[in-house]
Amino acid sequence: MGDRLLRLAEIHKSFGGAPALRGATLDIRSGEIHGLVGENGAGKSTLINIATGVLRPDAGTLMLDGQPLSLTNPRHATAAGISVVHQEAELFPQLSVAENILLSQGLVRGRLGQIDWPATYEKAATAIARMGESCDVRAPAADLSVARRMMCEIAAAVSRETRVLFLDEPTASLTSQEIDHLFARVRELRAAGVGIVYVSHRLDEVLELCDRVTVMRDGATIDTRPASDFTIPDLVSAMIGRESLNLFSRDPKHAPADAPVRLQLEKLTDASGVFQDISLEVRAGEILGVYGFVGAGRSELAQALFGLRSLSSGSVSVDGSPAAPRSPREALRMGIAYLPEDRLVQGIFRNHSVRSNASVALLPRISSWSWISSARETRLANDIVRDMRVRARSIEQPIGTLSGGNQQKIVFGRWQSTNPKVLILDEPTRGVDVGAKAEIYGLIDGLAVRGAAILMISSELPEIMSMSDRVVTLSEGRVTGVFNPKIDSHHVIASAAVPKATGIAKPTSRASTWLGSIARARESGLIAITLLLCLLMAALRPAEFANPRNLLEVLSNAALPAMMAQGAMLVICAGGIDISIGAIMGLVAACAGMAAVSGAPPIVCVTLAAALGCACSSLNAGIALLARIHPIIVTLAGISIYRGVMQLVTGGREVVNLPAAYRALGDGNLLGVPKLCWYVLVITLVTHFLLRYTLVGRHILAIGNSETAARLIGLSKARITWFAFAYAGVIIGIVAVLHTAYYGKVQSNTGDSMELKAIAAAVIGGTNILGGRGSALGTLLGAFLVALLYNALTLLAISAYWQNAFVGALILGAVLADALVQRSRRLH
Amino acid sequence: MRKLLRRETALLLVLIGLFAVFSFSVDGFFNWINILDRARYWVVPGMIAVAMTFIIATAGIDLSVGSILALSGIALGLLFRDGQWPIALAIGGAIFTGTAAGAFNGFAIGFLRIPPLVVTLATMALFRGIAMGLSQGKQFGGYPDGFEWISQGDLLTLRGPASVSIPTPILALVIVVLAGSLLLRRTWIGRFTELLGENPVAARFAAIDVRWLTFGLYTACGAVCGVAALFHTALYASAKADTAMGMELEAIACVVVGGTRISGGKGSVLGTLLGLLIIGILRYGLEMAGVKSVYVVILVGILLVTTAVFNEWAAARESQ
Repeated sequence: MGDRLLRLAEIHKSFGGAPALRGATLDIRSGEIHGLVGENGAGKSTLINIATGVLRPDAGTLMLDGQPLSLTNPRHATAAGISVVHQEAELFPQLSVAENILLSQGLVRGRLGQIDWPATYEKAATAIARMGESCDVRAPAADLSVARRMMCEIAAAVSRETRVLFLDEPTASLTSQEIDHLFARVRELRAAGVGIVYVSHRLDEVLELCDRVTVMRDGATIDTRPASDFTIPDLVSAMIGRESLNLFSRDPKHAPADAPVRLQLEKLTDASGVFQDISLEVRAGEILGVYGFVGAGRSELAQALFGLRSLSSGSVSVDGSPAAPRSPREALRMGIAYLPEDRLVQGIFRNHSVRSNASVALLPRISSWSWISSARETRLANDIVRDMRVRARSIEQPIGTLSGGNQQKIVFGRWQSTNPKVLILDEPTRGVDVGAKAEIYGLIDGLAVRGAAILMISSELPEIMSMSDRVVTLSEGRVTGVFNPKIDSHHVIASAAVPKATGIAKPTSRASTWLGSIARARESGLIAITLLLCLLMAALRPAEFANPRNLLEVLSNAALPAMMAQGAMLVICAGGIDISIGAIMGLVAACAGMAAVSGAPPIVCVTLAAALGCACSSLNAGIALLARIHPIIVTLAGISIYRGVMQLVTGGREVVNLPAAYRALGDGNLLGVPKLCWYVLVITLVTHFLLRYTLVGRHILAIGNSETAARLIGLSKARITWFAFAYAGVIIGIVAVLHTAYYGKVQSNTGDSMELKAIAAAVIGGTNILGGRGSALGTLLGAFLVALLYNALTLLAISAYWQNAFVGALILGAVLADALVQRSRRLH
Repeated sequence: MRKLLRRETALLLVLIGLFAVFSFSVDGFFNWINILDRARYWVVPGMIAVAMTFIIATAGIDLSVGSILALSGIALGLLFRDGQWPIALAIGGAIFTGTAAGAFNGFAIGFLRIPPLVVTLATMALFRGIAMGLSQGKQFGGYPDGFEWISQGDLLTLRGPASVSIPTPILALVIVVLAGSLLLRRTWIGRFTELLGENPVAARFAAIDVRWLTFGLYTACGAVCGVAALFHTALYASAKADTAMGMELEAIACVVVGGTRISGGKGSVLGTLLGLLIIGILRYGLEMAGVKSVYVVILVGILLVTTAVFNEWAAARESQ
């Protein structure tokens, strides 16, 4: 074991008044594997986030090599050689494996600063090979199995000269072979002098692998010792503490062994395999404790019983009659209620009153013809507040202003008031102060006394021990034991819940669906459709279609929307949208045209137009980003503002008599091909280069893929989004000039419906409307296909009035196809 | 609740203030006959804005309202003129068309879970395109007087020093506003709408059927557009496909000025009505003052953005 490498001393951190860390101290030496263990909520994740610059401590110091270290950004941590591999790998799913590995430290750059893809792929492949792995580094990360993703993340960390590496539950979803493999790599890293922090619930693994172990409890580090000084029981008692295990004493006579079975599960298996073969029964008046660590499948089991997840096999019955709810409404009708785990996200409506929060489950029942009986609702809410002993000024107070314990009591009351036969409680006292805890225990007991069957999920063993009549332990999706808390010790129960390093059954690899393969082959599919349409037209209208003049006309018609679409595509890739681009184009065209008429040289007009387009587009982005409102609202209002300003500028008159020099910018041919086509070529290539070969282009895609993952590697959403809008603005300016030069005039409706054509071209060309994926070449093809379709409709003598309907249907079809593909991907 | 009321009181004061300023500074503004006559034009955007209040309260958006209105109008014209249907049946057909269009949106948003922005942006083009295609650019006029009366007629005339007539469509708007307000405030449909906008995850965990609720709301919005199409057609005595362009902006502006946040969670139909009146009076007053209509167009856009920003800012301050 080497020198002291990284030291976190006396770290304190609170979230909204609730302390998460209370003076935690962690010491990592070079060339050691340091185990970090603790119950859920002990503060391990917060500590990691502070060490890697995601969070800043309220108090305490970080020292690297004996020098104080201040981390304000994950990038600082990466630069200092501190990396983390998260449990739920934070990925950019639509970007390639290679990019996921290398984006945070920089992709390989060529001589001009462009991204050197072959070298990048090679570097990533080398990094993976060094881990003893191999995979297609060009494939999108979403296609990888969980184990592979984990290995990739470790490969990424290793490839950037990491000195301190945090591994957060790396083995949670690996098979035993994969685990052996991982351990071998980790030991190699240790030999190379890296300091490794290994966080895991699998205590046997920790003792096998680690040199030293630190135990955390309630936000503090309790003990640090060499691993050889610990046994598993030692670790368990250090983790759960020695506080009184009798928080609440229940009257034992309420747990009759001969009471009827209310809830029975038989061989229940989840559709996505999170839990398997769960069989258990709960009798009337019984509290069954469910104990297990993160990833054991506890909440998933509860959600399946409440109709929020689908089951693949097994049966559920309530009071002997089959009950497999497909929705929460059905579950409620069957007498099943569920108090969720994450109160803020799943439980409460923060800005709504105590009254609404309390009554929501029963609201349809106390209404007639959907009319809420105000008196009955008030009575219901008041009853809940009284029975649950909620401390609130009035039932009209927003629930967000109450303490966590009082919020929880209201959600508890919401479900109790439905008079459930089966009540599932998921971490019922999480984030609740001690006084409220005892009250909630009383409420749970009271419900059991009245004959409900209660399934209580908790990761606090003392709570499980004192409340339950029986305890089942879950580990990695399976029941690992049934215990009697009066007889079996908490050590025995905790040990049964500790996941074994045996690995899990490997789910079969994702089947590729035909929809998926269509999505992947988007560009070749587009070319095929385009060719097909051409052939069809050549057969149907040989004379009119297949002559050079017509084809050139198609090209010219496609040109302006194709250029616009490149900008729109970039904005959509960044997760934004701008529907005012047509209006901006009209305004810019008017200004540029008037400048030209008044004698400004063409180059001045073009510069002016680009600057003005960029300014308008930046304004849209600025307002949306600063005020955090969706760009659709800003740009919707923008349509009327920019159109209005345009009318003011022109005074409602057409701009005509443009000088010949100006018109020559866009009109006429060059080398026998319309000039517009050359512009399209240039703008498409520039956009392609930008998106594919520059860092800012990759960052635009990264932001559109996952804002969270982008934040973890320190990207600035505002700057990147703004860049996409500004680039689109410059293109709008150029297109505006070309439009006026080509048509020789500016009318009040110049630019109308351009936004629709541009967005259609982008979406048809394979841009994901939700951001994160797009291609300049695909967009070009999309624009061409739309123009071709217009041409075909005209030649087939289908009235021009139908053409908009076709464009609308095209967009809708492209978006629908995309949504269905995404869904089929999620399912597999 | 009290906060919403405070907001509505403020809006009412703004409205009264606008009224006072225009009355003193603009000659010929204060004339009940003219103002009431003008109010005929507020009824259609008002109805749609009431429906839009529900959509925005769920944190959604419907950009296709103007197109649904045009399509329903064309359906009415086609069925009545070309199809020779009796007017009552044609009216039913128009409302059905709007409802079906809304249901299409609702299905894609509620069941296929495609974001409302994307769906309604595409159907904005699609429905308008279908209306264009069906009508082939023609206008459909020549409705019975009784039909045109619903927008152009007067309900009753008060005889006083100067006789004042109450236009018929105002009654329809009052009914829609009252029904919308009661639906949002007094029924579980309205309550669930707001809860869904506040926290969609918690809504699912609280056994609210989010899919059907979403489907129902967009369908109802389409139905309201179908009804509004009747008043629109009656007002202009003709139906055409390129009508009601920018209706989505108009309706969303009323909702946002009325205090409903774009990010959802709370809605106020009464606020929306006040938003409608404020924008309407502003337009009318500026027009009477001789301000060019293009300034008014710009002003409405700026008003939408600034109030949307203000709403977010106020909500952020409140939750601190």
